[in-house]
Amino acid sequence: MTATRLGHPRPEPSFTIMVNGRPVEAWPGESIAAVLLAAGRRVFRQTAGHAPRGFFCGMGICFDCLITLNGVPNVRSCVTPAAPDCVVEAPE
Amino acid sequence: MTEIIVIGAGPAGVAAAVTAAEAGARVTLIDENSLPGGQYFKQAALPAPASLPPTLAENFRQGQALLAGLSHKNITFRGNTLVWNVTPDRTVSLYGPAGPETLAAAQLIIAAGAYERVMPFPGWTLPGVMTVGGAQLLLKGQRLLAGQRILLAGTGPLLQVAGVQLLEAGAEIVAIAELQPLGSIIARSPRFLGHRDKVKLALNNARRLKRAGVPVKFGYAIVRATGENEVSGAVIARVDAAGHPRPGPESALAVDTVCLNFGFAPDTRLTQLAGCKHHFAERFGGWAAITDDNMETSQPGIFAVGEVRGIGGVEAALPEGRLAGQVAARKSGYRTDESAGPTRRAARRARALVGQLNTVFAVKPGLMTLAQDDTLICRCEEISAGQLRAAIREGITTLNNLKPWTRAGMGRCQGRICGPILAHLLAAETGLEAQSAGQFTVRPPVKPVPLSTLLPQNNNDEVAHDK
Repeated sequence: MTATRLGHPRPEPSFTIMVNGRPVEAWPGESIAAVLLAAGRRVFRQTAGHAPRGFFCGMGICFDCLITLNGVPNVRSCVTPAAPDCVVEAPE
Repeated sequence: MTEIIVIGAGPAGVAAAVTAAEAGARVTLIDENSLPGGQYFKQAALPAPASLPPTLAENFRQGQALLAGLSHKNITFRGNTLVWNVTPDRTVSLYGPAGPETLAAAQLIIAAGAYERVMPFPGWTLPGVMTVGGAQLLLKGQRLLAGQRILLAGTGPLLQVAGVQLLEAGAEIVAIAELQPLGSIIARSPRFLGHRDKVKLALNNARRLKRAGVPVKFGYAIVRATGENEVSGAVIARVDAAGHPRPGPESALAVDTVCLNFGFAPDTRLTQLAGCKHHFAERFGGWAAITDDNMETSQPGIFAVGEVRGIGGVEAALPEGRLAGQVAARKSGYRTDESAGPTRRAARRARALVGQLNTVFAVKPGLMTLAQDDTLICRCEEISAGQLRAAIREGITTLNNLKPWTRAGMGRCQGRICGPILAHLLAAETGLEAQSAGQFTVRPPVKPVPLSTLLPQNNNDEVAHDK
């Protein structure tokens, strides 16, 4: 499922973040979770029990949407803004 | 020493900060998010598109009107700043963009808000199943529509509010499964007295949904979500008065998104750390901070406003915030001509009205039977209902005993998601009242912070990983 950006295309210039080595388009002010959802990616991580998890509470309390960002694991993607230097690792 | 510190920049905290600042006090307003507004008035860091869907535009306009007050010269807003500890002597421990810091407050106003109550069922951990608030935050804060074919399930007017917002943004609302039967809502309609605006809004929403052909199923619950790596289907079924699914036909729906909300639970972590007294207020979402008529808690100089006092929505949050701001400014020596009497009466009235309304949309114990023995209850530590039921059969009756015994509530979310569910599960399995399960003991830090934050004189920026 691909999430839809309202008011798209956005007038401001976009930039790219790297997700598993591939460029993904992002706009200033978007969270990493929003960028992943808009790129059609819903599985953000696998649990220790090998279950897929993604976006859940959206407000930084459930810790389900954790990703690895610039080599740092367990970053909450829903409350972390996307920036041009972001390198995200998520399950394929 | 800071004259007044306000924790939480949602409606209650902003109202408190603005009122105190206008009385002359110097206020530091702290929030974990980069922008003020809280969840209800979530602000986007993105520029607003030329045209927002109408109900989102209205929410945005109201939020902007409230937040305009923050431009007062006496207010310092500190965003991206987590308060990870509060002590009874009003020492506030922060972690912000500049690293760790400690502030002391003469008066402290805690407006930490609430989190959503969700009930578990097979498939509720699948990606694409999210809280109603999560989907709303994507709309408000990210200008993003989470899905195309959406089921909303749970209980309360928020389901239809969010249904209209998602509809306007372009989604198809496949169904809304409202736990309460329509008959019981109508039978309790005297409790809507005094809620003229809310009733008008609710009827308007119902009309909008009907016109769009959205089936609003009263007396229904979601019993299952299905899908491989993300949700692709959901099953809803009729439930009886106690919330047990009735034998009979189920409806399987093809959906790509499921949004859940069964009300809210007050976030009392900071008031607990501050040593404030709490009580179990069922009509206000469970354990909540006790205050006097001036919003002051059992700890002198510490105030609690809005959802921390019990779920009251924006209606209760605004007058309570104003009242605490007024009283805290007065205690700081700022004399205003304005009497606190009218604000106090407005706060009391708003709270009483919302309390009545809350009782119409209560969670039902039978819903706990939806969780099969292999359904996870604690999402973080992956503890199943079966493991928890076994522990309860061993004789465990409180949250604080269930946690070390099973690890439920011990993960990163620290029981924010599973805590209210565990209380329902304990009540369902033991037959005891929900309040006898007690509250989780809270220890700092309330959310993970870099390890260096906890060490004195350490500049190391390494991040703590808890597993």
